[in-house]
Amino acid sequence: MKNNERNKPKIVWLQAITCNGNTHSFLSANVNRLKLFLNSFDLIYHPSLTTDILLDDLLKKDEEIDFLLVEGAISSNKEFFQLSNQTTNEILKKLVLKSKYLIAVGSCASYGGVHKKFEQNNNILGLQEALFEHDTSTLKHPIVNLTGCPVHPEWIFQTLFSLKEYKQIALDEKGRPKEIYSYLAHHGCTRNEYFEWKVEANSFGLKEGCLFYEQGCRGPMTHSNCNKILWNDVNSKTRAGMPCIGCTEFDFPRNNMLETKKNIGIPDEVPLGVSKRAYLSIAGVAKTFKIDRLNEKIIK
Amino acid sequence: MKTVDIVERIEGEAKLVCQWNKEKISDVKIQFLNFRGFEFILKDKPALDALVYTPRICGICGQAHLKATVEALENIYKNHNEELILTKKAKLLREIGLNIEIIDSHIKWFYMFIMPDIVKFSQNNLAEYTPLKGKKWLEASMIASETIKSLALIGGQWPHTSYMIPGGVMSDPTLLDLISMQNYMDQAIIFFENSLVGIKLDNYLDFKKSEDLYKVKGDLKDFITISFENEFEKIGKSYNRHLVLGDSLSFEKGKINRKLTKNISYENIEELTLNSFDIDKSKISKEAYTWSKTALYSNNFYETGPLSRAIVQNRDFVNDIHRKYKDSMFTRILARMDELGFLLFKTKELIKQIDINEDSFIKPKVSLSDFKYGFGQSAVEACRGSLYHDIEIENGIISKYDVITPTVWNLGPGIEDKLSTSQKAIIGTDSLAKAKLILRSFDVCSVCTTH
Ligand code: SF4
Ligand code: SF4
Repeated sequence: MKNNERNKPKIVWLQAITCNGNTHSFLSANVNRLKLFLNSFDLIYHPSLTTDILLDDLLKKDEEIDFLLVEGAISSNKEFFQLSNQTTNEILKKLVLKSKYLIAVGSCASYGGVHKKFEQNNNILGLQEALFEHDTSTLKHPIVNLTGCPVHPEWIFQTLFSLKEYKQIALDEKGRPKEIYSYLAHHGCTRNEYFEWKVEANSFGLKEGCLFYEQGCRGPMTHSNCNKILWNDVNSKTRAGMPCIGCTEFDFPRNNMLETKKNIGIPDEVPLGVSKRAYLSIAGVAKTFKIDRLNEKIIK
Repeated sequence: MKTVDIVERIEGEAKLVCQWNKEKISDVKIQFLNFRGFEFILKDKPALDALVYTPRICGICGQAHLKATVEALENIYKNHNEELILTKKAKLLREIGLNIEIIDSHIKWFYMFIMPDIVKFSQNNLAEYTPLKGKKWLEASMIASETIKSLALIGGQWPHTSYMIPGGVMSDPTLLDLISMQNYMDQAIIFFENSLVGIKLDNYLDFKKSEDLYKVKGDLKDFITISFENEFEKIGKSYNRHLVLGDSLSFEKGKINRKLTKNISYENIEELTLNSFDIDKSKISKEAYTWSKTALYSNNFYETGPLSRAIVQNRDFVNDIHRKYKDSMFTRILARMDELGFLLFKTKELIKQIDINEDSFIKPKVSLSDFKYGFGQSAVEACRGSLYHDIEIENGIISKYDVITPTVWNLGPGIEDKLSTSQKAIIGTDSLAKAKLILRSFDVCSVCTTH
């Protein structure tokens, strides 16, 4: 082994009950960031990327793992889900014991996500729920939840590089890094001006208008920085015209994600931290400003 | 002798259970032991939410599921004789999105899932293909992530966007967006020319005969050389029956069972569970060994995927290679990489056809919840082959959702005395390493198989 390899923190990426979406999100990372990552860490195991060892070998090895990244939900039901003849729950517990940091990659690993909706298996859990206190006693840090369906690759890089350098990262009450999840998806959306002046998008397929009033946009209630650190370097859902569906939140996926639930024409839920009454009076005032520019096509 | 082997690096995990006789595989079972229950998850959900759920069936072919869902929902309108107008622009933006995803997948598949195993059969040291470290592996992952940006421009992000909706698409790209998309395609074309085939795309697309294989340079040449050195053109043959269910500007539907028929009817599709587990334990047979179901067309097993598409569509080069080497492992892998070139060219053409003055979306006059009962079907060509969705709704709520993924066609269990496509391809092989490669040549996704 080369000398510099020895000092690189070791990463193991486990895929539990997942669609592999986080892996493909990760592989779609910014080219230079991915290179720097591969130079700075030693990804010793990933079920779809590495070839040297199999999961079974990894479980038998004594080797210490610095960062255990888990993609997907956990279950102790072997009939529905097994890897190398074991449940994801058994594998997780064995690997955690060898690891210093445990990171949930994606909403499924964090809280169960889409897969938790499979009610016939009533044993689908996020990492925190799946592990007891004694299972995690050897960890040097509380579990980090990188929510998102999928998670943005940059969130993974920032978390890993921070932990490598500073050994810890501040988490919110849901276990998510504060510096990523204190923002709302709404921050930086190119439709913000429409939101302020209550100009709704009259339909899908438009550059103009805010998607909050009709299309169900959860931007003002969703903790993520999708409009600050853009997706694939170039865009975000709301910039493109798709409402935010709140995939970084505990309650994802919700029902009727592509429409706004309303009560007598008023959105049922209002932006985080604003009282409904205050919101309604501001909205009323804003609507009285008929700003021509915002009611026209951006490009005429 | 019996061997049981776990296969990783196939987008999930499969178990390969082989029976051996005189050092050849005499019987094989491919077990997928994971089940995520998407058809159950979708039940009782509002119809439009399927647009958010189904892309999450698979992190790599999510756009195919999205397109299948949106078209199945639109089919519900059609079955009610309710007019739904879709502009050409909307149709193009959907198909371009799907094509870009296929392009991305083909690049990753060759460099991440195929070549690391193929080079093990070479006498030469081809460390450039080593995962995560080798120059070629890195270059491929870089170009894949650049390419997918062109989809993010219209979808907002990849993976898992839901930018298609009954009536059109949610985005409204500008001319500059379209140019950027062209640019990303051009970058991928340069990669195809400089790294993969070592000649100009135009010249490559002019290939007509199998002898043209010798003109290929670049990384694909490494594959061709190793294949002929190890007789990969002789293994992995199956029924040589091919099925393409999806019809689009890029692909034509049809089937080949000795001769080519363009007439495809969903009525002939059948899904069986004779050897599959069932959530209802009383229905499980003793023979059940996998979560994958069995898909048949007109009571027969068919292969689906890029090879099937190329020959149903009569694309000369692959056609001639196929005539010579049949549905071998070599032909199957080559066809997928040929499709990469074909799609790069085709997708650029499609981008050019967009008229930005057209509407992206025309709101349907009625909502899905206005229908007391509705049913719809759709089929699209995903990276791995034909994907079929079948939906029923009651008052806007999903009462049944059935998905048949490409891998179910190729890798589902055989029934009674009929071997499935991949079983037939593997039986007769003389080594486990080759059997695994044959399995991989179908582009295995256990995630999809056991949705
Ligand atoms: S969080 Fe989303 S992307 Fe991730 S595994 Fe779950 S469904 Fe897939
Ligand atoms: S579209 Fe969504 S994220 Fe954008 S401004 Fe409106 S509410 Fe905010």
